[in-house]
Amino acid sequence: MRIARWASLLVAVALLPGLARAETVVKIGAALSMTGPAAAYGAQQKAGILAAVEQINKSGTLKGVKLEAVVEDDGSTKEQGIAVFQRFINKDKVAAIIGPTLSNTAYATNPLAQAAGVPVVAVSNTAPKGITDIGEWIWRVSLTEAQVIPGALKAAQQKLGFKSAGVLYGNDDAFTQGGYAVMKSALEAMGVKTVGTQTFAKPDRDYNAQLTQLLAQKPDILVVSALVENASGIVAQARQLGYQGPILGGNGFNSPKLIENAGKAAEGVLVGTAWNKVSGEKGNQDYLALMKAKGHEPDQFCTQAYVGVEVIAEAIRLSGKGTREGVKAGFLKLKGLVTPLGKFSFQQNRDGDHAPAVQVVKDGKFQIMQ
Amino acid sequence: MEWLQETYATYQSTLAYIGLNGLLALSVYTTLSCGQLALGNAGFAAIGAYAATLLTMKAGAPFGLSLLLGALLPALVAVPLGLPVFRIRGVFLAIATIGFGEVVRIGLVNWEYVNGAQGIVAIPQKASVGLVWICLAGALFVLSRIRGSKWGFALEAIREDEPAARTMGIHTARYKLAMLVLGAALAGLAGGLEAHFTFMVAPNGFSFGRVVDMLVFAVVGGAGAFYGPAIGAAFLTLLPEVLREVSPHLGIEPGPLRMLVNGLVLLAVILFLPQGLVSLPAWWRERLASRRSA
Amino acid sequence: MQQAVNGLFLGSIYALFALGYTLVFGVLDILNLAHAAVFMLASFVALFLVGRSGLHILVAFPLAVLFAGLLGVVLERVAFRPLRARADSNISGLISSIAMATVFEALALWIWGPNVSRFPFGTIPERQFQVAGAVISRLQLTIVAVAVAIFLLLTWLVTRTRLGREVRAVAESPRAARILGVDVDRVIAWSFFISSALGGAAGVLFGLAFNAIQPDMGRGVELKGLAVIILGGMGSMPGAVVAGFALGLTEVFVVAHLGASWRDAISFAGLFLILVLRPRGLFGAAALREA
Repeated sequence: MRIARWASLLVAVALLPGLARAETVVKIGAALSMTGPAAAYGAQQKAGILAAVEQINKSGTLKGVKLEAVVEDDGSTKEQGIAVFQRFINKDKVAAIIGPTLSNTAYATNPLAQAAGVPVVAVSNTAPKGITDIGEWIWRVSLTEAQVIPGALKAAQQKLGFKSAGVLYGNDDAFTQGGYAVMKSALEAMGVKTVGTQTFAKPDRDYNAQLTQLLAQKPDILVVSALVENASGIVAQARQLGYQGPILGGNGFNSPKLIENAGKAAEGVLVGTAWNKVSGEKGNQDYLALMKAKGHEPDQFCTQAYVGVEVIAEAIRLSGKGTREGVKAGFLKLKGLVTPLGKFSFQQNRDGDHAPAVQVVKDGKFQIMQ
Repeated sequence: MEWLQETYATYQSTLAYIGLNGLLALSVYTTLSCGQLALGNAGFAAIGAYAATLLTMKAGAPFGLSLLLGALLPALVAVPLGLPVFRIRGVFLAIATIGFGEVVRIGLVNWEYVNGAQGIVAIPQKASVGLVWICLAGALFVLSRIRGSKWGFALEAIREDEPAARTMGIHTARYKLAMLVLGAALAGLAGGLEAHFTFMVAPNGFSFGRVVDMLVFAVVGGAGAFYGPAIGAAFLTLLPEVLREVSPHLGIEPGPLRMLVNGLVLLAVILFLPQGLVSLPAWWRERLASRRSA
Repeated sequence: MQQAVNGLFLGSIYALFALGYTLVFGVLDILNLAHAAVFMLASFVALFLVGRSGLHILVAFPLAVLFAGLLGVVLERVAFRPLRARADSNISGLISSIAMATVFEALALWIWGPNVSRFPFGTIPERQFQVAGAVISRLQLTIVAVAVAIFLLLTWLVTRTRLGREVRAVAESPRAARILGVDVDRVIAWSFFISSALGGAAGVLFGLAFNAIQPDMGRGVELKGLAVIILGGMGSMPGAVVAGFALGLTEVFVVAHLGASWRDAISFAGLFLILVLRPRGLFGAAALREA
């Protein structure tokens, strides 16, 4: 009798690990720009995603579900983006896709996901139109330029009181053009006179001609909509031409690469940001500690990607299902999630919603402007 | 069965691009076959893509008609382009046509009506992999007819020795122009198909790099046979996908590896196999024969 | 006035790059599309020497230029010489150079990654000068000065030295030159050395000027270089210099007054018109020379 009891106990103990191992793997596809003009952002996004997946799996918030991230390079191009999306949808059979990095790529890739019924979480697309309006499966964590820039301009206006502005923007990218449109209307609404508008293209490296033209009109502030590669050059050359005034940039400026490449010239540059780096809120502080332990210096893109994973995990938790429909259903219920970006919710139109901030580059670092 | 469906869905865009790249390679081949290096085809493809897109989206035309007109318009443009341009020889012709392609691209970047650099999005997906392959087959058929006919001989003669061909009474200018027009139509067709497959069309998809790719497809496949460029296109479109699977094992990022292999393949072909991949069987046979007799 | 300074500065880099292009074309009738890749690699090498090895830019620059020259010799040996005998050598040479350019770019991508790199701050110490109401930085002055020095050196080389005479002879007619006892192979190798050294110099200066060094930095300049040599006349060195500066100035004024989007259109429309109307360009000799 006693042997039987011992035997059954042994069997139960032997089976325990097996029970614990019975968890489902939920795959999240990440289409990121690891090469091309957006590579600087993609690298940060990858770090954020992998950190989030590791953290969520470790914390065990999703009982019985293990997250797995599949990261692929979209090459900052639509062709590669499409190929990657198709692999995610049909081969890896992911429950959700994070990305792609550029709004430009998203225009081509997201209709695919929409048609196939796969949730997409945009974590760096900030073009105001053409992302979430593709359909009910497309959701966004990154705040659009329309949500960030007007606030940044107003804050800068309060502090610096400028009356005229020179505007420079990239005319070959959906993001920078969208940003420009927002800047233009915000400046108009504020009654600031635009004394000149110039454009450039992503491959350009020489902005002296455009800057000289703008600076000849003596604007009080330079407002620039550019990706970080161009932004660094613009800022450096503006200073070289002798311009000492303020420069305000859009989301593309939000990368440590700006300071790295422009050096001292970046001092005083103002940027509207989705991520308040010095926020004392628990969500942010825990995140900063986590990244510090990993030895990784996060930027806004890293953080937004991190939150992208958090948002998917929360959706799975809310709906109880790690499937495509489950994620979408969870998104519909998601409200006030504590994240490094603050309390996050989805708006009615599936865009993200949380409080943005304004940064200024001081002493070689991004500081929150008080 | 399900596995087959899955694989198809995943590699759908690769399959489509084999067809599209095949068409584009053939569009460069048409002028190569009579010895002219005309590299304006990115411009022709752009014209075709935008024309077809605007017709479908703004004028609500049926897809077939848009495609047809999308192929016709660049063909028409090729005429006033070809007349002055074929007076230029060799590498200068290449440069002039490159210039044409760039002017088209820059024109599109500056045209507000088509959203400039951002291009047109949310184009309905009317083109399928099947349709693309049918068009490719059609193009191959047309070219094979040309090859076997009197035209084929004339083109060959012009390629071998243009002044001699002229003295033989061949209207070289007419043939060269005809080939340019045909190439433009093929490129325009490919452009229209691509736009209606990838949901979007933008000027940066028609850069100098694109026409270089087309040239590379044609040369690697073999510009001696009419089906050579299509083979080159298929090979070089599949190669990155194969490399993508292989690269993690080699420890090199897929991007650089793909470029490196492309460059090395092109170099190997131009140095050792100038007639392209299509000459591989013949070359191999020769090697075996010489080895046997040694 | 500031715009004129901007234009001269840009023009000097274009001119230097185009010189290398036109030299090879003049001698071999081949368009070397790997020139832009050499331009890029030289920039990376200089960056490596200054950044990692801590060499002063005055030492790194000539070393990088030397490297570029040697790379040009390798390029000639591997990609061009085997094809010289072929009938369609200028087309196959073109394609071969495209292949090499792809290989070079892939190597750069592999070694340094796709991201933008810059020279460490203080490589050329910051300092601005005011000249006639325009601002010129020490960097810009240095670049223009170096470019001019190179032009003068090159002119001396071509007109006063034996090598220069031999190069001109081969450019005129390789067969005749060989009959006259010129070692054509050696001259061609030297031409590639000089041409690539010029391209490399342009690359390092460009990298210093705009501090945006990345594997595809040659793309933009490549096509501009083409426009410059057509405008100046293929094979004409003074033409390349004059056209380079002309293009730099024109571009700057187009950007300022018409808008940046039209800048490239000017080069290419100009290029197209010249080829159709006056193929020999401003200074060029007859279109294709004798074998």
